[in-house]
Amino acid sequence: MVAKTRRKKRLERSIKVRCEGLYALSSWSEIAYLMAPRVLLILGLLVIPFYVDMYWQRVLCSAGIYALLALSFDFLAAYVGLVCLGGALFIGIGGYIAGLLNHYFHLSPFVTIPIATIVGAAISTLVLIPCLRLRGIYFAIVSFMLPLFAVYIIIALNVFGGTEGISALDTFPSISLELYLILAAVLAALFAIRRLVNEDMGIILRGVKDNDQAVRASGISITAYKIRAVFMAALLGCFGGAYLGHLYGWLGISLFAMDFSILPIAATVMGGMGSLVGPVLGAFILTPMSEALRGFGQLRVVLYCLILIAFMVYKPEGIMNILQRKYHQFEKWEEV
Amino acid sequence: MTILEIKDLMVFYENAIAINNVHLACRRGEVTGVFGANSAGKSTLMYTISGIILDVKKKEKMRGGERITVLGSILYESKDIMAVEASERARMGIVLCPERRRIFQESTVLENLKIGGILAKREQGKKTMEYVFNLFPHLRNLKKREGGFLSGGEQQMLAIGRALMAQPKLLLLDEPLLGLSPLMEEILAVAVKNINSQTGITTLISEQYARPILPIIHYGYVLENGSAVLEGTSEELTDNPDVKSAYFGL
Repeated sequence: MVAKTRRKKRLERSIKVRCEGLYALSSWSEIAYLMAPRVLLILGLLVIPFYVDMYWQRVLCSAGIYALLALSFDFLAAYVGLVCLGGALFIGIGGYIAGLLNHYFHLSPFVTIPIATIVGAAISTLVLIPCLRLRGIYFAIVSFMLPLFAVYIIIALNVFGGTEGISALDTFPSISLELYLILAAVLAALFAIRRLVNEDMGIILRGVKDNDQAVRASGISITAYKIRAVFMAALLGCFGGAYLGHLYGWLGISLFAMDFSILPIAATVMGGMGSLVGPVLGAFILTPMSEALRGFGQLRVVLYCLILIAFMVYKPEGIMNILQRKYHQFEKWEEV
Repeated sequence: MTILEIKDLMVFYENAIAINNVHLACRRGEVTGVFGANSAGKSTLMYTISGIILDVKKKEKMRGGERITVLGSILYESKDIMAVEASERARMGIVLCPERRRIFQESTVLENLKIGGILAKREQGKKTMEYVFNLFPHLRNLKKREGGFLSGGEQQMLAIGRALMAQPKLLLLDEPLLGLSPLMEEILAVAVKNINSQTGITTLISEQYARPILPIIHYGYVLENGSAVLEGTSEELTDNPDVKSAYFGL
């Protein structure tokens, strides 16, 4: 009967309790404790490219794009309550704007990418505004249909290169520039959004997710906040799209492919919903994994799905939430 | 004589203790009351007896949320049912009428009752439904109304009816008077008394507001911060000065 009279007690580390929101550090070891995971992530992302060959560096580039999409998906789903399957919409709009500017006006990628990011995000937001009043599955369906909609407009009107697309866009001068541009963007976006969700605005957004009527009753326009949140999420996606266009020097309707909507969700589930770091990590695990499984030919997708299903069924909270708990808490047996 | 006996029950939500060493017994055919303020542990006690807590525990574990620990033993008809699942417990006759009613909003009154009666045999179900409509004649006129459109009192009647349809041997009523008008409280208190006296179903009822319930119970417990601080028959509790000041404001 030993097991019946005691139970495992779970306690937060004292430093974590003290530092919730306000940093009150008293020693180097405490600073190290807080810094270690962040430094590990940054260094990890910056150092890995040195140890892999060119092919895998390219894979890391596309992993970075998926990381941005996963981040924007997680931000919208876990902090605003909008399940947005419009990753492909963001990528497509960003990619097309950057590509067309480059093709017709011969602007360099360093001009087209910022323009495409901002203008693309504005257009994506405008397109999504009418469905912002929808919630849950309805918003998801509409945002999922919009990329298909865009594809058929391009095919039907035969504009922007039609089904062929436009090739021979400018690419980046070197692979290391490519790589570090996207990695820097991922890190910047990650820390910016992490900061944002803990500011006043983040609190309101979470309120919108929990109970939008209560937020409205507090005299806050939820539509205005949703628009801002969608714009910020679209910024990440459109940057990824513009970057993708220049990465391969090509644009076409496959920029609106479903992969860009679906894979970020998988990365978010695997990494841990709501942790923001988790989805990024998930994208950097899933994309290379899907490449590594190429050796299995058609079985690749089966294996890939099996791994995902296993995660959803057995560890639905995701890698990052588990790691965070293990890092911040310790357990001991206690007599009752 | 006792149909339900709880010994050394402790429930933790993570490190917070919700129920602390509670001993409780329900005698067959009697109405037992559990009184306590908010956060006294009444609902947790109900969830633990009905087994819902096992389900909550599993979900929290999957989600990586709070860890729920349940220690002690619950004896139902002299069998330890601590590890038995909620659905199985319902089949054994422990039926919970949950707090805030939780009726099926989009089903009609009749459908709600039928869902409740899935465990019952056809004949029994018909008989019980007739009994429910006799007990709450008001519901008879609302058969086709969707659950979500009923008033609070009607919903509570329906919830009790639905629980009765499952042919309980031990009926758990969790805060049946929550948010109801004094008139409605009176009607429901009488109904609970009638259910017990007419069908002989053992009833365990938890309530914050003791005034309408105290007269209809046979035996009662007072919970405070998870511990049972007082127990006694209806008269003993009514005469107790602490209960008077806390629950009657005298």
